Amino acid sequence: MTSATLARPKPRRDWLPGTLFLLPTFALFALFVVYPIVYNVQASTLDWDGVNVGEFVGLGNYTELLKDPIFVTTLKNSGWWILLTIVPQALIGFFLALLLNEKIRGRSIYRAIFFVPAVLSPVVVGIVWQRMLDPFNGVFAKIGRATGLEFLTKGYLADPKTAIFAAIVVNVWMWTGFSMLFYLAGLQLIDDSVLQAAKIDGASTWKTVTAIIWPLLKSTHLSLLLLGIIGSLKTFELVYVLTEGGPNHASEMLPTYTFKQAFQLQSVGYASTISVVLLVIAVVSSLSMVRAFGSGFLTGDDKK
Amino acid sequence: MKRHKTFMAVAAATALSITLAGCAGGASKDESSGGESGTSGTLTFRSWSPIEQTTKQMVDTFTAANPGSKIDSTIFNYPEYLVDLQTRASSNTMPDIIGLQPGALTQQYRTNLMPLQDCASKTWGADWQSKFYPIGIDQARLGNPDGDENFYSLPLLVQTVNLWANTKIFEEKNAQIPKTWDELKSTVDQLKGGEYAPFMLPAKDSWLRNVVFLQIANNIAPGLPYEAEDGTKSWADPKLVEAFSYWQKLFTEKIAQDGAIGLDAYPSGANQFEAGNAAMIPLGAWWIQQSDPSKTGLPPLSEGMSGYQPFLFPTIPGGAAESQFVGGIDVALGISKNTKNPDLACKALTDFIAGAGAQKLINTFNDLPAVTGLNPEKFTSDKQKQIWDTFTTDWMPKVKYSRYLKSPEMDTALGDALSAVATGQLTPQAAAEKVQAAQQKVK
Repeated sequence: MTSATLARPKPRRDWLPGTLFLLPTFALFALFVVYPIVYNVQASTLDWDGVNVGEFVGLGNYTELLKDPIFVTTLKNSGWWILLTIVPQALIGFFLALLLNEKIRGRSIYRAIFFVPAVLSPVVVGIVWQRMLDPFNGVFAKIGRATGLEFLTKGYLADPKTAIFAAIVVNVWMWTGFSMLFYLAGLQLIDDSVLQAAKIDGASTWKTVTAIIWPLLKSTHLSLLLLGIIGSLKTFELVYVLTEGGPNHASEMLPTYTFKQAFQLQSVGYASTISVVLLVIAVVSSLSMVRAFGSGFLTGDDKK
Repeated sequence: MKRHKTFMAVAAATALSITLAGCAGGASKDESSGGESGTSGTLTFRSWSPIEQTTKQMVDTFTAANPGSKIDSTIFNYPEYLVDLQTRASSNTMPDIIGLQPGALTQQYRTNLMPLQDCASKTWGADWQSKFYPIGIDQARLGNPDGDENFYSLPLLVQTVNLWANTKIFEEKNAQIPKTWDELKSTVDQLKGGEYAPFMLPAKDSWLRNVVFLQIANNIAPGLPYEAEDGTKSWADPKLVEAFSYWQKLFTEKIAQDGAIGLDAYPSGANQFEAGNAAMIPLGAWWIQQSDPSKTGLPPLSEGMSGYQPFLFPTIPGGAAESQFVGGIDVALGISKNTKNPDLACKALTDFIAGAGAQKLINTFNDLPAVTGLNPEKFTSDKQKQIWDTFTTDWMPKVKYSRYLKSPEMDTALGDALSAVATGQLTPQAAAEKVQAAQQKVK
């Protein structure tokens, strides 16, 4: 290759092959991401039942939404869900991962057992937990009556003050194994020589965990945080089966309320408005994280 | 920079073209499955009921009797069915025959549906309406615009909503099935202390809360809830407030089991009742299907319906002297107005309702037939036959009051208000006023 060749400006059509390679992906993106979003935004400006001709109402659905007390409840519940699932799931998952990263007998079996809830259908989990939490005939109530532990006999799913928290507990039970698996994968990536060096320097186990392992798993924490936020905002099946968003909407989440509006109340326009708000919250959350921690945090790369 | 601009232009053009190709808010143009005209060809059938196995029997019977015909059927869970139907209606792939509920669901798809009275009179004669239970005919046109007398759906199955007793528990405790509110309270007190709930109320489901309330309200003031819905009376009428109060008493007077508002009817409540964990439960006529002759290995209570007895919600002090009959259509069928094969669709629909297909359906005790005089070919016991006769001969012809309200907004508002009363968030008066406020917003 001569210097003359290197100096020659690139032909203008060099970009064409790259663009053509990108086109299939772009087409899929447009079809499955852009189109539904545009469709939803347009539907959110309509008073529409999803079947018959809709009536344009401009921002009327958004104004209505801001005055809707159930919508406010869904936002509060989403906040609780994000806070009370991500942190406990991460902490329990982290300590389980630490434990099961040690060479203990049958650790593969333990790993599988802790991960099993994450692969179960949320519908099955919901039905089983609803039965277990039933204050009349559930397992917890029976144990509570047998042992005198009164708190186990309460109807947590039937009380508007506690229903959302009971659902959150079930969700934490279900997804902690998933966090554990993430942390296990992260732990495998930590260079053993770092831990050996800490040991030689006399670092205690607690110090090693808190000052070395925990910071080195930063990308895992952030990945779980992002997945947790998105997962919390999308929560549907578990809540729908456990409480149907009740009693009296006390455990309503954005997706369950959207479903009810669209398919039970035949208000597809209003449901689309909720979906648009949900989308905005999800995008803002994700972009904020990317801005705060850098786009490379998901892959473990340095901040970019 | 130029490349970036090109990308942006392509992106914008694609998004615009997609948007223009399929906007939200347009009415659908129905394109049902193709087929030859006459009584051969292919039909599509989508519903949430009857169950898959029963539907297959009905379809097989019909296609065997109509060579050259084929029915592509799919049965969903109800929530999934609503999603499927709405998506198909929006994407111009409406099935030829669809399952419907009276009122809001039928009205939502009314413009996509074919009027069925011609099909009915051609098949059954001019007096075809007399074949059906009166409540089915009333409800088939529920919510039609004034002056529109068309039948956009015809009932397939009907039902009463009522209470069921576990007769084994009643016999063991020497208790009597309650006929009045006071008897209900004393019976519940008598049955307390066992391993079962005297009155299991699976009140997590909005539909169940509403049907129990409508039984109470109609027993207090027959027909008043529907007058409130029509706007001629108010939901805050003292008699309806009283109905909310009696609903509240189910919880505050510990008639219902602890945690009732968190228990769903299906599967949890039904399973517990079948397992003998409840002495009474509010469900409906469809419970007779627990003793389906084609099933084996039934729980002891369900064998021949030996452990069950249906009864009406007890009368309320100061209300009607007799318990009122509440019920209506379980599932109705409609035909897409753009079906390519209306004759075959009519033939299949009428066969499912009152022909050989209907016989297959009724043989499984899925629910009560919409037409009179259609009985299962085989009963599992004399008791099941006696219960069947009670429903079809004594109760269904007398059902006057609907288990549904006309609009989904009111169904939801009532269900929410009942939930709030049950959990102590609203007083009966406040709940009634809230429902009335919702009523005033309904278009």
